[in-house]
Amino acid sequence: MEVVDIRPLLAPAMSFACAGMVFLFGRKTHWRRFWMLSAATIKMLIVLSMLPGSLQGVVYTFDLVDFTGGIGLGFRADALGMFFALVSSSLWVATTVYAIGYMREDEKRVRFFGFFALCVSTTVGIAFAENLLTFFLFYEMLTICTYPLVIHYETPEALSAGRAYLTYTLIGGAFVLVGTVMVHDATGTISLGHPGILDAGIGTGRLGFIFGLLVIGFATKAALMPLHGWLPRAMVAPTPVSALLHAVAVVKAGAFGIVRTVYNVFGVDLLDGLGFTLPLAALAAFTIITASVIAIFQDDLKRRLAYSTISQISYIVLAASMLTPFAATAAIVHFANQALAKITMFFVAGAIQRTTGKTNVHELAGIGHQMPWTMGAFTVASLSFIGMPLFAGFITKWYISLGALESGQWWFLLVMITSSLLNAAYFLPIVYLAFFKPARGAAAPMKEARPTLLVPTLVCAIWVIALGTTSEVAGMPFSLAEAAVRFVFRM
Amino acid sequence: MHLWPHWLALIVLTPLVGAALTPVVALIDRRTPTWWALSTMTVTSFAATMLVLRIFHEGPFSYVPGGWTAPYGIELHFDEFSAVVGVICLVGWLAVLFSSRYTDSLPEFARGRTPYYYTLLLLNCGGMIGFTVTGDLFNLFVFMEVLSLSGYALVAVGGERIAEMAAFKYLLMGAISSLLVLFAIGFLYGITGTLNIADVTARLHGFEGPTAPAAVALGMLVVGFATKAAVFPLHVWLPDAHAAAPSPVSAVLSGLVVKVGVIGMIRVYRIYYGSGMFDLTVLNLVLIWLGAISIVMGAFFAVFQDDVKLMLAYSTISNIGYIVMGLGLATTYGVIGASVHIFNHALIKATLFFAVGAIIYRTGYRTLTDLRGVGRAMPLTAVALSVGAISIVGIPPTAGFLCKWYIALGAFQADRPFFGFVLIFGALLIFIYYIRMVNAFYFREPVHAEVAEAKDAPVSMLLPTLVLASLCLIMGILGRVPLTFIEPGVARLLAPLGG
Amino acid sequence: MLTALWHNIDYVASVVLFCIGLYVVIAKNNLIKKFLGLNIMETAVFAFIIALGVIEDGQPPIMTGDAHGPFASPLPQTLVLTGIVVAVSTTALALTLIIRVYRRFGTIEADELRELE
Repeated sequence: MEVVDIRPLLAPAMSFACAGMVFLFGRKTHWRRFWMLSAATIKMLIVLSMLPGSLQGVVYTFDLVDFTGGIGLGFRADALGMFFALVSSSLWVATTVYAIGYMREDEKRVRFFGFFALCVSTTVGIAFAENLLTFFLFYEMLTICTYPLVIHYETPEALSAGRAYLTYTLIGGAFVLVGTVMVHDATGTISLGHPGILDAGIGTGRLGFIFGLLVIGFATKAALMPLHGWLPRAMVAPTPVSALLHAVAVVKAGAFGIVRTVYNVFGVDLLDGLGFTLPLAALAAFTIITASVIAIFQDDLKRRLAYSTISQISYIVLAASMLTPFAATAAIVHFANQALAKITMFFVAGAIQRTTGKTNVHELAGIGHQMPWTMGAFTVASLSFIGMPLFAGFITKWYISLGALESGQWWFLLVMITSSLLNAAYFLPIVYLAFFKPARGAAAPMKEARPTLLVPTLVCAIWVIALGTTSEVAGMPFSLAEAAVRFVFRM
Repeated sequence: MHLWPHWLALIVLTPLVGAALTPVVALIDRRTPTWWALSTMTVTSFAATMLVLRIFHEGPFSYVPGGWTAPYGIELHFDEFSAVVGVICLVGWLAVLFSSRYTDSLPEFARGRTPYYYTLLLLNCGGMIGFTVTGDLFNLFVFMEVLSLSGYALVAVGGERIAEMAAFKYLLMGAISSLLVLFAIGFLYGITGTLNIADVTARLHGFEGPTAPAAVALGMLVVGFATKAAVFPLHVWLPDAHAAAPSPVSAVLSGLVVKVGVIGMIRVYRIYYGSGMFDLTVLNLVLIWLGAISIVMGAFFAVFQDDVKLMLAYSTISNIGYIVMGLGLATTYGVIGASVHIFNHALIKATLFFAVGAIIYRTGYRTLTDLRGVGRAMPLTAVALSVGAISIVGIPPTAGFLCKWYIALGAFQADRPFFGFVLIFGALLIFIYYIRMVNAFYFREPVHAEVAEAKDAPVSMLLPTLVLASLCLIMGILGRVPLTFIEPGVARLLAPLGG
Repeated sequence: MLTALWHNIDYVASVVLFCIGLYVVIAKNNLIKKFLGLNIMETAVFAFIIALGVIEDGQPPIMTGDAHGPFASPLPQTLVLTGIVVAVSTTALALTLIIRVYRRFGTIEADELRELE
């Protein structure tokens, strides 16, 4: 059931307005905080207000402008989009609180928070985009808005990382645009509101071309190997930004683009007969394994997390390319599972860095006694990534495995198991170091991170457990993912 | 709807007569030339509105001055492409308004030369209007010369160090291209014995003599107009000329005058498509390639400029590349996109040059490094500049978007996806430049105190800039109006005569 | 082939003249000489258009009655008249520009100017 409703437009628009306010009145600390938090809260409330309807299968749409012949800007909150919007907007509240604590001593806070607010507005824009053009528009805006965040410290290293980031993502964006024009040329529409708009009559060659363009374009942002080069370098950014890049906005936008391409542009039925997804799945599997192996050898905590992200995002791509209902469920819920666990880890990394100044893994010996709550949260997130039952990550792995069996491709199971082992190999040593190794020199007294850093971290960690235990509870995100799957598979 | 039939004559005559009389009215008072030029452009704009309204209701129409029908008399013909007079009048009017304060800052004008400046500006607009509405080949040449000569002179009036050299270079290439066009017109007259465009088309249709002269004429016309349009590799005159001219003149030159070459090409294409003498595939392919090279080359050079005006000049080359490529694609979508881009690029480029002109007027600097932080000092101007920038990159919902989308669609329609790529990557390059510009204007600390303390532009400059900037947005949102308006014109352009 | 050229010697001559003019514009270094080349091109085009007006057994337009030929078409002549006006204005403008270039840089040799810029 489709309902015309202004809320899908209102969600990004309101937070855009608040972001503008941050730029205008950001010089005063309390005004800046007020607008930041109100942007975050208002948006989350708008998204939440659509949740009950969405769970019952209501789709809210709003056409802003129609230029001509199906090219226009429109918004549409379907289950898939709602899921992504829900994840990003609720995490944004957490990240905002965290960022306020983290950036307390920083110089260029107006610019930072202004673009920070813009970033997540555009993410919701991506989630609610009704057609590929609107999608592309927000997608590019996201690129532009994250650039000032990446180069925030303006060191030569940051500037070069920023350039690499722009080069990768803008070129990727151009691929998406070419693909969009080709879709329009082939079908006369670019809507994302159907379970597939292309049909086999277009010809395999052209379909393959379009698929390649869109997937390459989105994969640059999703950091699928070998297009991941910008991500580890972007680690020079402040930690809330890394959290934003890695967990909430940027890489997720890329993964979301791939999911949209597979489910809404091509459609499962069409892709099933074409076989384009097999190379994509292979690439995703390759990325999962390789990035994990590289992660093991990183000593810088944030770089280790970065490679872990590259690996984890590919779960979504892998699951999406399996084209079965179970795998689709996994792809969608992994948006939340990965986001929460990864943002917890980045929060922890940032908290450690701000509290003790340590950034490398080998320095973390004994830190679990110094910051027990923080490291507790880290442990929860690690267990989730490893795929322990009762933690969020388990759901993903379970459903991907089910999907693999469903599609008869047993080797995906091997990938899953290997990846779990590798995850354990690069996360558990940190936990071990933190809790069981004595600190070098005199044991530091217990000194937790300041509350604005600690509280968001703990909240996210609790959600990791909540997501892992409530998959059968109606009204939780999981049921939303199932609604999305029903639409995609026309069930 | 019945309208007074003489608007078409009036729109051509008013600016020319007004131009001639400007030095005379200057005898009354120092300020009268400005008002005189403004009122001349107002009358012209009114005539343009009437004409555009009429074509909306009736379709193309002709006017025969004095009742002398072809082949003796001269015919004025108003079709969908002539509707560009609307944008000529608008930008011309705003340029006059913009100049009223701007000219104070130029040394030449202190010595009482202002009336001649307005004469040249009005002549330029009059020449362009005449060029777009004439139905006669020789008349086409005469109007082209009127606008070109005034254009060469306008480049030189700014008093920039390289202005005269730039003007001379422009003159040399412009004059050669004019001569090529005149030569070709002579050829066509020799073959058909008429100068009326419609007659020439009709007589070439089913022409049974040697076709070589017509082919040579086609070649010369295309080269001639391509030089006027600054298509690669005939663009060498453009960057210096447009960067050295005073900013309101740059707006007119970059937004409108180069389009004359494109409109000339459209007229030539009408003759040759209509007559069906040749298969134009090869020529089209050449145009597509030249357009593609212009896009990439213009954008590439633009990215490496520090001088803002020089960058805008290079981006003009890039945008002309889009138009030429769209024409060369010869698919409905491509040509529609190209034709609408003639209108829209005029709006966008004028916005940008006006905004940059206002910034230069206030600060005296013109490079990105010097102008750091100007966005905070001159907020309204900078907002207009940003709107212009996102339009020229082609980000929805601004004016630049739909044209480029259509040209890209045209490329896929013509089964040449490669050029769709070129187009989008060209836009990407330009995008990078504008990111640099926005970054410098908003997020860098000012280098010069003048920049930090600059006030926003005076009303006579701010008003034109903001009007155009808002038009960039409106034309984007109402993008379908020009597209549907131009469609019958494009259909007629591409169809062979009688078919 | 040669006969055909000979029969159209007036056209051939103007094309050759045009090319000579173009050569001068491109090859000469002095701005005035460049400009003279442009004048040669103009002359070539005008000569070509005038030559078009010669039509064997042409009839006079408009006027009727007892007139005796040969007649040339008057239209090309009027065209060239207009063309000459345009050419003169171009010349005037170009010379003005050259004078101002000379005042500013002290030279009108293209290569020296390029260095000075």
